[in-house]
Amino acid sequence: MDAQLTREPIPDIPLIRGKNTDRSLTDTLFGFLWAKPGRAWLALFGFCLSLTGMLLGCMAYVISTGIGVWGNNIPIAWAFDIINFVWWIGIGHAGTLISAILLLLQQKWRTSINRLAEAMTLFAVVCAVIFPVLHTGRPWLALYWLFPYPNTMNIWPQFRSPLMWDVFAVSTYGTVSFLFWYLGLIPDLAALRDSSQSKVRRVVYGIFSLGWRGSAKHWRDWKFAYLLLAGLSTPLVLSVHTIVSFDFAVAQLPGWHATIFPPYFVAGAVFSGFAMVLTLMIPTRHFMGLKHVITEKHIELMCKVIVATGLMVFYGYLMEHFFAWYSGSKEEAFTFMNRAFGPYAPVYWLMMFCNVLVPQIFWFRRIRLNMKAVWVASILINVGMWCERFEIIVTSLHRDFLTSSWGMYYPTWVDIGIFTGTMGLFGTLFLLFLRFLPAVSASEVKEYRYELEHAAANGHSLPHKGAH
Amino acid sequence: MKRWILGEFSDPDSLLKAGRALRGGGHRDLDAYTPYPIHGMEDAFGLGPSRVPLIALCGALAGISGGYLLQFFLNAVDYPINVANRPIHSLPTNIPVTFELGVLLAAFSIFGGLLFYLCKFPQPYHPAFELEAFRSASTHGFWVSVVPQPGQQNVEAKVMEQLRSLGAANVSLIEDPEEEPEE
Repeated sequence: MDAQLTREPIPDIPLIRGKNTDRSLTDTLFGFLWAKPGRAWLALFGFCLSLTGMLLGCMAYVISTGIGVWGNNIPIAWAFDIINFVWWIGIGHAGTLISAILLLLQQKWRTSINRLAEAMTLFAVVCAVIFPVLHTGRPWLALYWLFPYPNTMNIWPQFRSPLMWDVFAVSTYGTVSFLFWYLGLIPDLAALRDSSQSKVRRVVYGIFSLGWRGSAKHWRDWKFAYLLLAGLSTPLVLSVHTIVSFDFAVAQLPGWHATIFPPYFVAGAVFSGFAMVLTLMIPTRHFMGLKHVITEKHIELMCKVIVATGLMVFYGYLMEHFFAWYSGSKEEAFTFMNRAFGPYAPVYWLMMFCNVLVPQIFWFRRIRLNMKAVWVASILINVGMWCERFEIIVTSLHRDFLTSSWGMYYPTWVDIGIFTGTMGLFGTLFLLFLRFLPAVSASEVKEYRYELEHAAANGHSLPHKGAH
Repeated sequence: MKRWILGEFSDPDSLLKAGRALRGGGHRDLDAYTPYPIHGMEDAFGLGPSRVPLIALCGALAGISGGYLLQFFLNAVDYPINVANRPIHSLPTNIPVTFELGVLLAAFSIFGGLLFYLCKFPQPYHPAFELEAFRSASTHGFWVSVVPQPGQQNVEAKVMEQLRSLGAANVSLIEDPEEEPEE
């Protein structure tokens, strides 16, 4: 009787489920790579590949004809190209948050999800970069517009512009994310080399593993390198979306000229990125048999991060509106009234619904543990975050100081084609990643399993943070 | 001809125990091969401190100073642009790019310094790979290697016996025909 009365009302869900050994983890984590691709994978891959084909077609059309084929105009000189750039870059930020910041904070639940989230970061950056490069109109000349390359004209870029900072921030971010991801991948590539049954795979994985043999001396330096890269990535990821927000905040335009932008953008980036991780992870763990290492606990914790960052985003909205009123500036106040009740009002209310109301359902544990509900909510949040960028960019530009220079923006089929195409490219890269590389870091999960076993053997309760 | 003696343990704890025992027995040229980093390895196998932080610091300093000087030279010396009479050279506007280049060069130096300098990669061949059982070193086996000190009689047989008594399986002797012993 007593035992029943004092029973823990909320049963704890483990981060690694079931009885695993190093050997069984090797089999379960790599099993998907050795099996023949299933019909579902092939069908999805074909679909994404055809969207990528459409992307390439639209890109060729834009480059050969000029960016006049987009809906951009004056006054709305920035539209889909910047909306989608900011949206994709923001999505990438969750990967770095999971892999770097949670590592520094010793949050052990990152171990099973960091590889997948980092891969998502890389592919999101690839998709993001397409937009500003195309927007330069003549990408082959962008080299000397964007980078300080010694050219025969003896001219240099202007480093006092936030757009220039953006070039350096995004290219550094992409590069460092790749190095971090690859460094974490090397021990697993060696494991793939050693456990593969086919000669071709042994050679290919062998080349990419660089000859890793898990030597104690190498591990000692590897651990330091991994930790230091995490330490570097942490301020880096904050700097990237801060600088992206400077692209707007430094301008005088009502709706852009706000000091809250840097933290508000970073919170929004993490918010949308975690939503994207959930969108990808829920089907991945289901179809790839990874439920023993990516448990409901992981999903639940990510939902909590979404609630926290969602509230920060909501605070950003409140402050924006408050300052529009408090500043006493007629134009500022008008911009916000125009967002809510002007011609683009549906986008505004969709954003408010998706970003403010939807995440509140994650206060309930029952919903956090319902995978279908979480998946639908994660997609709605990304729709909301896309609307937010549309709001910030298009509605601020389309009606500013002079009534005579007001205008409207409508995307053309090329705009929509390129945006949909980048989703196809993202899907293609992600599916290839799932096919050829382990979606869950085997070496880190094994290390965590050993720590748990050790803690249990020494009589400690299973730690979720775990001393290192 | 350099010789190694390899042995496989089934769990990290017995590997650490073996490392301590071998070091106590006077062996200095020891290494371990494991699928994941093991806490306490540095002590058990007598590894010194890592040089990665120093390399990272050099990279970061090069990036910060190089990045700042680059902007100063390009925008204030070589091609000054007067924008609305704002100062040609101004510290705050140069901070973001300086920071990004500091991070970029630090990351490159960590990555390159670790893999190409400290680990001496790419190294697709290593004599240990001759042993088929050594494949487990990256998935579930915990291997130790000893380079016996020359000069003693029957030293190899003694080390192999010691490894077996410590609980090692697959104890084997491998030879690198190309490399001369270091002493």
